[in-house]
Amino acid sequence: MNWKRTVGLDNLSEEYAFERSESTGYTSAKKIPDHWVPTTCGYCSVGCGIEIGVKDGRAVASRPFAMHPVNRGKLCPKGLSEHYTIDAENRAKYPMLRKNGKLVRVGWDEALTVMTERFRATQAKYGAESLGVLSTGQLVTEEFYTLGKLVQLGFGTNNYDGNTTLCMASAVSGYKVSFGSDGPPGAYEDLERADVILLVGANLADNHPILCQYLEANRNKTLIVADPRVSKTAMMADMHLPVKPRSDLALLNGIAYILIRYNLIDREYLEKHTAGFTELERFLEAYTPERVAEITGISQEVIFKTALLYGRAKAGFIGWTMGVNHSTLGTATVNAICNLALLTGHIGRAGASPFSITGQCNAMGTREAGFTSSLPGYRKFDNPTDRGELAAIWGVDESRLPAKRGLAYPDIVEAAVAKKIRALWIIATNPLVSYPNQDVLRHGLSNLEFLVVQDGYHPTPTTELADLVLPAAIWGEKEGTYTNSERRVSKVNQAVQPMGEARSDFDIFLAVAEKLGWRDELYPGWTTVEDAFNEWRRVSKGRLCDYSGISYALLAEHGAVQWPLTEGAAPNGTSRLYTDGEFQTADGRAKLICADWAPFPEQPGGKYPFVLNTGRTVEHWHTRTKTREVPILERLSPRAWLEMNPRDAKVLGLRSHDSVDIVSRRGRVRAVELRLTEITAPGQVFMPFHFAETNVNEVTQDAFDPISREPNYKQCAVRVERSGANS
Amino acid sequence: MTTLPLMESALLSTVAKSLVQIEIEPRPLIPARPLEAGEQYRFHFDMTKCIGCKCCVVACNEQNGNPAELNWRRVGELEGGHYPHTQRYHLSMGCNHCVEPSCLIGCPVEAYTKDAKTGVVLHSADTCIGCQYCTWNCSYGVPQYNAERGVVGKCDMCHNRLDDGMAPACVSACPEGAIAIEIVNVAEWRRDYLSANAPGLPSADDSISTTRVTLPENLVPDTGRVDLHRVEPEHPHWPLVFMLVLTQLSVGAFAVLWLLDMLGRGTGLTIAALASLGLAGISLGASTLHLGRPIYAWRALKGLRRSWLSREVLTLSLFAGAASAFAGMLWFDMQGRGIVGMLTFIAGIAGVTCSARIYVVPARPAWFSTYTLAEFYSTALMLGPLFVQMLEGNVPSWVRIAAIAGASSQLITQLLKFLWLSRSEVFELRASSLLLSGRLQNLFVTRLAVLGVAGVVLPLVATRGGIIAAAFAAALAGEWLGRYLFFVSVVPKNIAAAFTSGERRAA
Repeated sequence: MNWKRTVGLDNLSEEYAFERSESTGYTSAKKIPDHWVPTTCGYCSVGCGIEIGVKDGRAVASRPFAMHPVNRGKLCPKGLSEHYTIDAENRAKYPMLRKNGKLVRVGWDEALTVMTERFRATQAKYGAESLGVLSTGQLVTEEFYTLGKLVQLGFGTNNYDGNTTLCMASAVSGYKVSFGSDGPPGAYEDLERADVILLVGANLADNHPILCQYLEANRNKTLIVADPRVSKTAMMADMHLPVKPRSDLALLNGIAYILIRYNLIDREYLEKHTAGFTELERFLEAYTPERVAEITGISQEVIFKTALLYGRAKAGFIGWTMGVNHSTLGTATVNAICNLALLTGHIGRAGASPFSITGQCNAMGTREAGFTSSLPGYRKFDNPTDRGELAAIWGVDESRLPAKRGLAYPDIVEAAVAKKIRALWIIATNPLVSYPNQDVLRHGLSNLEFLVVQDGYHPTPTTELADLVLPAAIWGEKEGTYTNSERRVSKVNQAVQPMGEARSDFDIFLAVAEKLGWRDELYPGWTTVEDAFNEWRRVSKGRLCDYSGISYALLAEHGAVQWPLTEGAAPNGTSRLYTDGEFQTADGRAKLICADWAPFPEQPGGKYPFVLNTGRTVEHWHTRTKTREVPILERLSPRAWLEMNPRDAKVLGLRSHDSVDIVSRRGRVRAVELRLTEITAPGQVFMPFHFAETNVNEVTQDAFDPISREPNYKQCAVRVERSGANS
Repeated sequence: MTTLPLMESALLSTVAKSLVQIEIEPRPLIPARPLEAGEQYRFHFDMTKCIGCKCCVVACNEQNGNPAELNWRRVGELEGGHYPHTQRYHLSMGCNHCVEPSCLIGCPVEAYTKDAKTGVVLHSADTCIGCQYCTWNCSYGVPQYNAERGVVGKCDMCHNRLDDGMAPACVSACPEGAIAIEIVNVAEWRRDYLSANAPGLPSADDSISTTRVTLPENLVPDTGRVDLHRVEPEHPHWPLVFMLVLTQLSVGAFAVLWLLDMLGRGTGLTIAALASLGLAGISLGASTLHLGRPIYAWRALKGLRRSWLSREVLTLSLFAGAASAFAGMLWFDMQGRGIVGMLTFIAGIAGVTCSARIYVVPARPAWFSTYTLAEFYSTALMLGPLFVQMLEGNVPSWVRIAAIAGASSQLITQLLKFLWLSRSEVFELRASSLLLSGRLQNLFVTRLAVLGVAGVVLPLVATRGGIIAAAFAAALAGEWLGRYLFFVSVVPKNIAAAFTSGERRAA
């Protein structure tokens, strides 16, 4: 320590100096950058415009990009501190190969040689399908598209999925079943223009706080929030419906029953644009207010009030997130939401939309650029016309395109357990925190002959298990586009050079193709991500998700725009889908779906008396690989907690701040700080899922939606006991 | 049928209310006009709008370039009611730029000023010597010590940005428009500052906070802090523990020496006097180690008009000077010692009094009582005579009795204080008692036992030098332990915090 500081002559006044700068105003001098790089936030799917301040080649500041249409000059706490994720201690800087049981630094050439040789050898020995790939909504669309070609046309395996299956696959499946295609019909401005807003299983205040601006700006709304917890969002509501866990589907069906019964439906719209009304009407007879009140715990009067408000609304909006999606009935629940919109005609108009609010920054881009649950451009694997179109664009033989979807995420894990998947490539996702029932996952991964993990950070619980770690450039170090929840395509720009020897995922994919001699065929003439984007524009042309009118030049000039935007059209984008009532089904009609409610799979009782709910907190992002590197976010939310109602705690003799274990049939989470609170209902407990150190997914259930394959994260049976009492 | 009750806030009145609101122009977030005489800026926090996203905290840290551990703006959580009629709110607070800022009043170096134009309470990092007295004086925990810099820092309302017509960082970062800067007429506010109070906030009476809080309608009465069960011991301030006990010892010792000298034991006291002087010198020197910037310790005399800390520095310096003179006169057996000894005694008592008064602040309720004075005086009364007895051996019995009286008074003080704390309904007081009877129980019991044995029993039964020396050593250690407990067991007033925040829990 310097002596001047010890005696006090020096008080670090330079370090703490302030300056006036034109771009920032009066502010801490060390935060004033040489220049700002406009880009799009790399956390959630709200898709905020953000500027990275760069000083001497390092990212030193983040601020809202004032011109961006989404965030209106605001960012959430994660966005405001996002520059800390780049220059972080835990970044993966060099390729690391496991030699004699230890990960050691190797050069890129050796890494890619070993990787391609091992993958091809595994495929030669066990068949092409023995290679699995798990990727992510964290990649830019260009990278996701590039990877899809590499996996499906290059490696020839369709056992490829994204972590988006853990997140919003149910919304995708639900839209496909109801409307014939994926694609959220509405826009954020609908939150401002609706007069009745129903949020189901959506805690915007913690998970999408920037969207709360739109709610705040809407002075005419009645906001109804259905959530078993008294979430921060429930506190914003005019009416909070404290539903019993996963009774939302019954509630939605009950509302539909009342709408039909009291003729609050739009018969003209139904006749012109939907199919299946008669069946639905008959089916809903089982969802009388009496029964729905019984299932949901909500009084008949309130169910009526909710139905009347939505039915009589001028523009009714239903938004949902993971409370709906994270469920074995996720797809069905989305269908029930779409039913309400179709019955009342609350779709395709300003303020009126059934609207899924997505998770990751580019979950939407991965949905559209496809190759996982569908072919690029919302094309279907099992549609020969779709396959033919794509084969023609790429100039490849149609037989190289898979005619059916490969294994979904949980099925890849199961196949690893069954030794059908023998090599796995995990890209920018951290299943060792995020996958339900970690025991099964660990078993599956331990069966693999070769595991490659490509990530911006190392060590993470997942990279620690890898045979090969590929260091990837992250947000701020690479270029591309993200598409947000409202279909808005927004440019992602590079502000600083990648850390160490890290390379962008795009570069890595091209290098792998190069090693295998596939580059010229798969990526003819490509050198930059823009080349990938331009091919993707051609692929999407004429589809619902038409990007053909969106170019990097247009994004630079006009800012982020919503798809569809056809080549040659005015650069405004499209706020809403289905404004003409024409849907993406064979007959152009949306389908009304009979979606039956059932209790969640693992009911509490006996040794496991509590229902465990999981979710997020505003300070952290997903598995915390990024946000644990941000000191201020760690300061604000340093550890996990378990919420329990004081009435239950009294019976168990537990107090706030006690250290407790959460135990299910599958595992145990140790030493979690107990929070006694009236946020959570008696009989239920809640825990955030971000923390590897106390990972709630040790106990969650590996039960999956039959269509979307999304896990039922939000309900499982547990008991809570004092740590060290009985272990 | 099981029916859970419904949380339904004014559903039916929504339409009517929103029609009215539409006609109101959205309130600007910073004042549109210049301040007039008698006015100042203040924060307005709208609790009904805040969603607890903590953007303001992050923006504040970035604006001011502060490390994550320091948060000039903080967000607390409040909860009330019962499921599903639960109410959750948040409280976002920076500095309250009080009308009577207790940080400013206590500051010994005049590092604080209340800006004449804006009313913003400003702190100068260059003037500050890092004594941290302001962090004890503020009821809201606003000034925070930056150990890296050796100085305190606090929210200055981004007044430099306001000057440029720009919003403070917290104001501009809030996605909900929950924080704003307003103009307040100070005289009117003095008459009625009721809306400076809110659940989760200490009473505005302490310093007349200017922050106006808009509370939700129909707030349930039990709405309050969620962090009340997490009470952590405070910082021990070791140099102060060391210094306080030794200065008190020295004052007690000189009092005894003076009296002995007056009563005719004029010779042979030199060793005790020099030793006492030595201890006083060491302790005063050591006390500067508590400062973030010890080289500027002399500045602490600047705040005599207001600050008890300045007064302590002055009186203890006078005491040291007088004591030096007295010791010198004893050594050389000079005449007129009685007057100098009396001056030493007076300065010493004044010094101990000023020391104690430093801690008697409303923001630290367990210190805010005469027990603090009693505790400090008792230390002097016990340790001074014991020390002299140890060094001089053969002393009149009143010296022993004085030590025993000091120990007894300390024991009674501690017991009465504990009773007062444990029977209080004030959260901070009761929490202090819970620390003493909980996490700090072993230390507290040891402290009381040492007092009884070393301060009362041994001096009563023994006169032998060795035992008295042992008694003194134990009593001194006991007082250090006591002063350590004094510092760590105080639970300061503060604003509501989040349920989980701050440092990782100790295992």
